[in-house]
Amino acid sequence: MRTLVFVEDASDELSQQAVVMAKGLGGDVAAVAIDPSGGYAPAAWAQTLVEIAQSRGATAITAPGSERGNEILAHVAAKLDQPMAANCVSVAGGDPATVTRVRWGGSLLEEARLLGSPLLYTSAAHAIAAEPISDVETVPVTSALSELDQAVRVVEQVPASTSGVSLTDADVVVSGGRGVGSAEGFSIIEELAELLGGAVGCSRAVTSAGWRPHSDQVGQTGSKVSPEIYIACGISGATQHMAGVKGAKRLLAINPDGEASIFAGADYAVIGDLHEVVPAISAEIRKVKGT
Amino acid sequence: MNILVCVKRVPLTGGKIVLTEDAQAIQTRHLGFTVSPHEECGAEEAVRLVEQHGGTSTALTIGPPEAEEQLRDLMAIGVDQGIHLVTDGSEWDPQATGAAIVAAVRAQPEPYDLILFGNESADSGNFQVQVRVAQALGLPVVNGIKAISLEGSSLRCEQETSAGRDVYTVPTPAVVSVKEGINLPRYPSVPGRMRAKRKPIEASQPAKPQARLAMVRLVLPETSNKQAEVLGHGAEAAPAVVEILQSIGVM
Amino acid sequence: MLAALLAVSSYLFAVRVRFLVDLVRSAAPTTRAGDRERRVRNEATIVLGQRKLLQRIVPGLIHAFIFWGFLVLGPTIVIAMIGVVSKHATLPWLGDQGWYAFLVDLFAVLVLVGVVSALWIRKVQRPRRFEGSHLGEADLILALIATIAISLLLWHATRIALGLNEWPASSAPVSHLLSHLFAHDGTTRVLERVFVWVHVTTILAFLAYLPRSKHLHIASAAFNVWYGRTGPGGQLETLRFDDPNIPEEDIRFGAGTSADLTWKEMLDTFSCTECGRCQDVCPAFATGKALSPKLVIMGLRDQVFADGAALVKSRDGEKPIDLTSLVPTAVPEESVWDCVTCGACVQACPVSIEHVDHIVDLRRHLVMVDSSFPAEAEPMLRDIERASNPWGKAQSERADWAAGLGIRILEPGEAAPEYLYWVGCASSFDERARATAENTARLLQRAGVDFAILGAREACTGDPARRIGNEYVFQGFAEQNVATLNEAGVTKIIANCPHCFNTLGNEYPDFGGHYEVIHHTEVLARLVSEGRLTPRRDENLKVTYHDSCYLARHNDVLAPPRELVSAVGQTVEMERSGKQTFCCGAGGAHMWMEERGTQINDNRVREAAGTGAGTLAVACPFCTVMLDDGVQGAGADLRVADVATLLVEAGAAD
Repeated sequence: MRTLVFVEDASDELSQQAVVMAKGLGGDVAAVAIDPSGGYAPAAWAQTLVEIAQSRGATAITAPGSERGNEILAHVAAKLDQPMAANCVSVAGGDPATVTRVRWGGSLLEEARLLGSPLLYTSAAHAIAAEPISDVETVPVTSALSELDQAVRVVEQVPASTSGVSLTDADVVVSGGRGVGSAEGFSIIEELAELLGGAVGCSRAVTSAGWRPHSDQVGQTGSKVSPEIYIACGISGATQHMAGVKGAKRLLAINPDGEASIFAGADYAVIGDLHEVVPAISAEIRKVKGT
Repeated sequence: MNILVCVKRVPLTGGKIVLTEDAQAIQTRHLGFTVSPHEECGAEEAVRLVEQHGGTSTALTIGPPEAEEQLRDLMAIGVDQGIHLVTDGSEWDPQATGAAIVAAVRAQPEPYDLILFGNESADSGNFQVQVRVAQALGLPVVNGIKAISLEGSSLRCEQETSAGRDVYTVPTPAVVSVKEGINLPRYPSVPGRMRAKRKPIEASQPAKPQARLAMVRLVLPETSNKQAEVLGHGAEAAPAVVEILQSIGVM
Repeated sequence: MLAALLAVSSYLFAVRVRFLVDLVRSAAPTTRAGDRERRVRNEATIVLGQRKLLQRIVPGLIHAFIFWGFLVLGPTIVIAMIGVVSKHATLPWLGDQGWYAFLVDLFAVLVLVGVVSALWIRKVQRPRRFEGSHLGEADLILALIATIAISLLLWHATRIALGLNEWPASSAPVSHLLSHLFAHDGTTRVLERVFVWVHVTTILAFLAYLPRSKHLHIASAAFNVWYGRTGPGGQLETLRFDDPNIPEEDIRFGAGTSADLTWKEMLDTFSCTECGRCQDVCPAFATGKALSPKLVIMGLRDQVFADGAALVKSRDGEKPIDLTSLVPTAVPEESVWDCVTCGACVQACPVSIEHVDHIVDLRRHLVMVDSSFPAEAEPMLRDIERASNPWGKAQSERADWAAGLGIRILEPGEAAPEYLYWVGCASSFDERARATAENTARLLQRAGVDFAILGAREACTGDPARRIGNEYVFQGFAEQNVATLNEAGVTKIIANCPHCFNTLGNEYPDFGGHYEVIHHTEVLARLVSEGRLTPRRDENLKVTYHDSCYLARHNDVLAPPRELVSAVGQTVEMERSGKQTFCCGAGGAHMWMEERGTQINDNRVREAAGTGAGTLAVACPFCTVMLDDGVQGAGADLRVADVATLLVEAGAAD
């Protein structure tokens, strides 16, 4: 096996995981990053990878299951007209290669055969532990680009206007669901998040009810978070939501319903009404901090 | 603008997923169905763009006969017409799906100025059909878009990143995949639903090619046998919670 | 002179009445036929007997005096007119009768007592129910009534003084007494003419003014009562979307403009006297919301009159165009959403105005045509459609509560049990309401009742969708559930949710679903009285029972839950109980809407806590959740429990 791994950069956790998974295939593994100076251009970057892969006789091309990783590998697959498996939790070479990949944002797995060559897949986020990458080769974008490959590139970057911790970077996410009851009800969630220097999240029901903006939404179709602890308040634990919290190291669920499905995925449980429990936690934190 | 939006019928899974006995599909006997969320926003975006700039919007789906419900749902919010590639309900892999869409697009008398997709489908999440379609049609493609505006004959497309927003300018015709949050899909009016019943749907039954990403079976992930540690009931659990927060160093 | 005045007044009256009749005729159709016996009874009790007015004894009596006085004094209009023409003539058979003179004397005085008391209430007491009413107009009307009664008495007094009375003076003691003010002289002869003219011209002025004022109810109320709904209070009128005779553009989606109001709704607006009894009992108004049922009706009336000419023209086939939207011009949007459809206003209205129908019709147009409704209710509406329950849970999890209880789930093709237990979404999915389902099932099992549940085949009845205004979604579910139930051969249904109970029993017949629907408290009360369930009574258990609107007010289920409560403990009643109950705040789809300001459940919980009871018994899953929230919010020392739970705790399922 000769595997080419696209990495975003050497310090990127998902890229590190992708390299670890690629090593599991055996054989040579080359980690390649693309010189970003010309701006991100998915088709051009994919063309670059294809050329490198072909010149080196790679039998597998892989990337992390990130937004960009999946996008670039999809371009590679389309260019080569070969099958590709996105977000794999495990992969085995062979003819045909077999993969286990994530569906429904991780609530379901699919075992599949990949009838093509080279083997094209991306590694699902947090399916495997990351290890530092020893050497990453940074290559320039190929000069042999079609007009179509050049058509799309990032032309402008607008920095985030909101201050504070971003949902995806936060160490603590305090998240509210339908149980919060109203837009105003989020004040206690905000208070706890602020005390812990964390970010506020919410479930899809909350966004549809107009209580929070979509940018706060955690879940399969919202943000995927990876905090040290995720505090789910009044969230029932639908698969749509759980897909966004799979990266969390620990999950604390606060729910009055002892049978709620959120508890099945939780490390810690508080059975009770969030309107009582959350202010009590905030008060306790203040007491401990002596403020 | 002549806009096509490609959508998928998916079940609403609720709190837990149950598989059929042969592990080839989700047990959907008692489940409701919907349009995959990113794609529903795509349809809303198509309707808005047509409202602003004129033209027609078409929704395309590959799915069982029941998927007509989803096309009608989108017509109820303003999509003008439908293309239904009718299947027996079994899984089509991304290459087959892409090829069927490409064939359907080529069969249309007028080309589309914009073909919208959801970034990925809620169920299979393959992240690639739109790229394959764009490649085959020779069109540029951008993904994960949360804002689209028409500037002359180009589209300004914005993507959310952890650092802010990345902006692309894409010449039309183009393929764009969008994410939920780009808009809030409108709630369908009843006159809209009634009109939807009369809107045209072009149905055909494409032959299903051999899958190259061939599903063997579905597996439910092992729920780690961890039993959540109950820290207490009601407000009295607060000290125990704070202890945990301290022990993991987030205070 | 008299003839000219009479002609002018009659003409003015006729023109206006013609306009009003044309307006009613231009309005959208609604069916209020049949049930003649009930309608006659309503006329007898509500109109003649003043039953609803007398729900409040003092203002009720005041009105009854004036109203009965109006009936008794009616013929004096003719007598006085004859008197204008000739002071020596009178109406044969009546004008010369002593007993009639006595009645006239008596009722003229009672009318005056009524007018003075009414003024005292309006000027001194100033109750809140008059907030927003036209007070000046009311004063003018009272003054006119007083003038009519006083001029009549004085006319009679002068006639006695002049010896012109056709009846013995003693039969009219008040007039007789007043006659001592007048001498038998020329001045009195002039005054006799003055009084009779004042009397007659005031009446004629009143006649012309009446149909232009809020006092129009004199003419319209009897009709409005006659055409009032005779079915169960909780039933909403079914809209037709599939009538092949109605072109799609003419389908009525509730009320968007005044042209969409039904003729009964229009008649309702004509009948309102702005008495404010509806406002007084409205839980939304009581907790400071924008809604006043009275202002809704007044706003609609003003809009109907503003659009009147265009509406009347539309009778000739021209569709009125460019009419102003009723919301927000006639009714503020907030008011429309504040309503909990508890029906207290409808029950209180002395002239059978059906406020809830108006509000639901306004909602229907906002939801179905404009897609405009509180955003927080959107997940509920979408979840009902997509997941068949308002919380978006998977239907496959609907019967999870029953796991391990040995409850039969009725599968397709199986023989129906004697009773189908319709669990409802709340009792299936809400953790606090689930206990009701479990305990009801255990009690039915203990008593050996042959029952089964539908499991995943049970879908939302559509009640929240209907009450928020989405009739279309409601009808889809009504048809689906009726098909399931009929196919299964179900004939008797037990429901523990009063909303399901109301919808299944009162609203599904419109969709071909005819079942005997009983509430769980009814079946449990029967089982207790038959000795098939034997709870232990605890004298120290002090319980107050909260009536659910959809059980008590809308469906008259009052005794069974009380029998159950007294079978387990000692009952203490709240002041607002039975049909006078006060909503928990969840009705009308408010379970899924945010409440502004003071919470209705808080108001109710404080009342419950005031009884000194330790347990607040309920018989509705929504009430369970709302009142439990209220107890936590208020920090009240109360425990909220469904009566089924209380029975199980009293050992009835052991």
